[in-house]
Amino acid sequence: MNHLPQAWGRPRDDVYGAYDASHFQMSGPTQHSSRPIVTGTSVVAVKFKDGVVIAADNLASYGSLARFTDVKRLRTFNSKSVLGFGGDVSDMQYLDRLLNSLSVRENYSTSIDDSGKSDLDAHNLHRYLSKVMYKRRSDFNPLWNHILVAGLGEKDAPFLASVDLLGTTFSSPTLATGFGAHLAQPILRRQVPDEAASKELSQEKAVELIRECMKVLFYRDARSMDKYSIAVISKSGVDLKEDEKLENQSWAFAEGIRGYGTQVN
Amino acid sequence: MASVFSGAPPAGGPGYSFKSTPTPSQASGIREHSFYPYADNGGSTLGISGADFTILAGDTRSTSGYSINTRYEPKLFKIGGEGPDHVGATLVLSVVGFAADGHALKERLDTIVKMYKYQHGKPMSVAACAQRLSHMLYGKRFFPYYVHAILGGLDEEGKGALYSYDPVGSYEREQCRAAGAAASLIMPFLDNQVNFKNQYMPGSGEGHALQQRVPEPLPRADVEALVKDAFDGAVERHIEVGDGLQTMIITKEGIEERYAPLKKD
Amino acid sequence: MTSIGTGYDLDNSVFSPDGRNFQVEYAVKAVENGGTSIGIRCKDGVVLATEKLVTSKLMKAGANKRIATVDRNIGMVSAGLLPDGRYLVSRARQETASWRQIYKSPMPVASLAGRLGSFVQMFTMNGGLRPFGITAIVGGWDSEGDMAVDGQVGAGPSVGAGGKASGKKYGGPFLYMIEPSGLYWGYYGAATGKGRQAAKSELEKLDLSAGALSLEQGVKEAARIIYVAHEDSKDKEFELEMTWVSGLSGPTKGQHQEVPKELREEAERLAKKALEGDDEMEE
Repeated sequence: MNHLPQAWGRPRDDVYGAYDASHFQMSGPTQHSSRPIVTGTSVVAVKFKDGVVIAADNLASYGSLARFTDVKRLRTFNSKSVLGFGGDVSDMQYLDRLLNSLSVRENYSTSIDDSGKSDLDAHNLHRYLSKVMYKRRSDFNPLWNHILVAGLGEKDAPFLASVDLLGTTFSSPTLATGFGAHLAQPILRRQVPDEAASKELSQEKAVELIRECMKVLFYRDARSMDKYSIAVISKSGVDLKEDEKLENQSWAFAEGIRGYGTQVN
Repeated sequence: MASVFSGAPPAGGPGYSFKSTPTPSQASGIREHSFYPYADNGGSTLGISGADFTILAGDTRSTSGYSINTRYEPKLFKIGGEGPDHVGATLVLSVVGFAADGHALKERLDTIVKMYKYQHGKPMSVAACAQRLSHMLYGKRFFPYYVHAILGGLDEEGKGALYSYDPVGSYEREQCRAAGAAASLIMPFLDNQVNFKNQYMPGSGEGHALQQRVPEPLPRADVEALVKDAFDGAVERHIEVGDGLQTMIITKEGIEERYAPLKKD
Repeated sequence: MTSIGTGYDLDNSVFSPDGRNFQVEYAVKAVENGGTSIGIRCKDGVVLATEKLVTSKLMKAGANKRIATVDRNIGMVSAGLLPDGRYLVSRARQETASWRQIYKSPMPVASLAGRLGSFVQMFTMNGGLRPFGITAIVGGWDSEGDMAVDGQVGAGPSVGAGGKASGKKYGGPFLYMIEPSGLYWGYYGAATGKGRQAAKSELEKLDLSAGALSLEQGVKEAARIIYVAHEDSKDKEFELEMTWVSGLSGPTKGQHQEVPKELREEAERLAKKALEGDDEMEE
C-alpha cells in the first residue's frame, strides 16, 4: 500500500515508463495531417460524345484493412456535376460539407426564372476546388485527396478535370486517379486516345469501357473491391448508381501468374 | 484538495507519471512530417527574341513520375489584355516546373497587369512587368514558386524582349533561353544556333586569332524552324517532353498562337 | 398618443409607468403600413404569399423578390421595413449555416423560429438599439425521410432503430410568425401587414386546423386572400409573389421554391374571378 495519496491511481514510472506528456498537446505547435488515414482507391472517368461517365468502388481502407465497405465516393453537386474522390475519406467528407454550404449560399442568389442556368457548373466547381486545394497545400495543411470533376461545362460541352492535394490541375478525355492512373488509364487511352475520339464515343461504349476498367482494377489493386458506384452525366441530368456489382469475372489468368508467393517459377 | 496533495512525491521514492502538474507543451522527440508541397510536372519551354518579335514555345505534356497526366496542359499564358480571353494582350508568360505554382503565379501576374492598366490608363511595359514578376517570385523566397518562368514581349522600341527567371526571382534579359526538363538538351543547341557559340569566321586565323561569328537577330522563319528542331530533338531524348507544341509569337500586330503535334511516345 | 412628450417612448430600455415599451409599439405601427404577407400551413406543405406594392413603374416586373429562401427548405417573408426584413433573413441564413456546422444536418423550422425570436427580442431590451420594424413569417418543411447527415458516406446499419422511435411521425410543414417584440407563435395560417385583418378572417374560414387543405388548394386560397386584402388599397398597383415548400414526394421535393408561373397565373385568374363574383353579389 502506497501512503502517498498523490501517487494513487497513477502508473509507476519504473513499471510503465514515463508518461509522454506531449499527447496532451494543449499548446505547442499546430499539428497538421501528414498522411491519409482511411482511404479510397482509384476513380476512373471518360468523356463521351454527350457527357461523362465516372466510377469509383465503395471501399474505404484503413491501411491494408478493408474497413468500410459501403462508402459512396461519388458525390453529386447541384444535381449537375459529379465529384469522384480518391484519398482520405474524412477530407472528402469535409469537402462534401464545404461544397454543400457553397451550394446553399449560391442558391440564395439564383432564381427559378433562369431554370438553373446560373448555377455553378462543373467548370466553376473545378476552379473553386483547385483554389481550396492549393490554399490548403500552401498552408502545409493539405486535404489528402485526388479528385475528378465530371459534368457539363460551357455550352453544355462534356467536362472532365482533376485536382489533387497539391492543387495541381489538368484535364483530359480520360482520367484516372491513384492505381487507376497506372492500370486503367492505358486501357482508356487505347479506346479514347484524344478529344476527337471522345466526341465519337457513344454512352453505351463509354459505360462498358469504364466497367471493364473497374474489373481490371479489382483484379490487380489490393485496396479495391467488387462493389462500386457509377455515374453518367449528360444533358438529361445525373444518373448515379451506387450499388453495382462487378460481373463476369474470370480469375483464370491467376493460374498463369508466376514469381510470387509459394510458386516461384 | 489540490492544495492538500500538491507537489511531487518525495524524492527517493519511485517516480510516478504526472510527478507534478503535467506540462503538456513539451514535444517528445521528432514527429514525422512527411508532406512535401511540391511536384515536378515535367515539360520544357523556350523563348527566343528577334528584331521585332519574340517567340515562346512549350510542349503540352504534363507528367507525374513516369505517368502522363494529360497530353494537353498549356504552359504558355497570355498576360493582361481585356477580360478572360486577354483580348489585345502583348505579354506572354511561360512557366515550367510545378504546375500548380505556375498557375498561381500566372493568375497573380495577370491581375497585376490588368490592374496596372486600370490605374494608369496605359498597358504595362514589358520591362516593368519583368521587374514586378521578379518581386513576386522573391516575395516567396522562403516558400518559393517552384517554377522557371520566361516572360516575352516587345520593348518600348518595338524590339523583341525576353526575360528569364530562376524560382526565387533572379532575372535577366536574354536573346534566348530554354527552361524545364529538357533545358540541358535545348540550351546548348540555342547557344550554338542563336548566339553562334563555337561558330567561328572561316579563315579568320588560328588559335586565339580565330574570330567568333558575330550573333545578330535572326529572321522569324529561321527562329520558327529552330523552335521545331529544338523540340523534336528534346522529344527524342527526354521522356517528360512530348505530345504537343504550343507556340506564341508576339509582334506589333499582337499575339499569334499555334499548336502542332509532337511525338506521343 | 399618450406616450408623446412623456419621455418613456424615447428609449428601448425604459418602461412606461403602466408597463409598456413604446418603441416596440411604434415598430408595430411600421408593420401595419407594410404590404400584406400571409402564410398557410397545408397538410402537405406551406405556402407563402405577399402583396408586393409597386413603388415605381421604373422597376422591372417580377424582379426584386420579397420572399427569401433560408437554407434549402425554409422561406421567409415580412411586412414592415424592408431592410429590417433583409437583415433578419441574413441572420436566419447564418443561424441555419452554423446549425449545419454543428449538427451536420438541416435546422428544424421550430428551432430557427426560436433563435429568431430570441434575436428579435434582444433588440427590445437594450438602450441604443431599435426594435425590428417588421413582422416575419417563417414557413418550411422538416424532412420526413431519412435525412443523410451532411458528408455521410454510407447507408448506416441495416438493422436496428436507426435513431427513430417506431410509430412516431417525423418532419412535416411548419409555420411561425415573429413580431417586433420577439413574440413568436406557431400558426396554421398567419397574416401581417396592412390587410392582415381581412386576410385573417379569410384564413379563419379555411378551417386549417382540420388539416384537410392540400398544398395546391392552399396556393389558390393564398392568391385569393392577397387579392381580398388588397381591396382596401385598391389605388396602388401590386404584384403577387408566392412561394411554396412541399414534402419529398410533393412538387418541390422538400425545397422552398417559387410557385411555378403557370400555377400562379391560374391562381391569380381564379382570385380575380372570385373578387368579381363578390362585387356582383354586393350589387
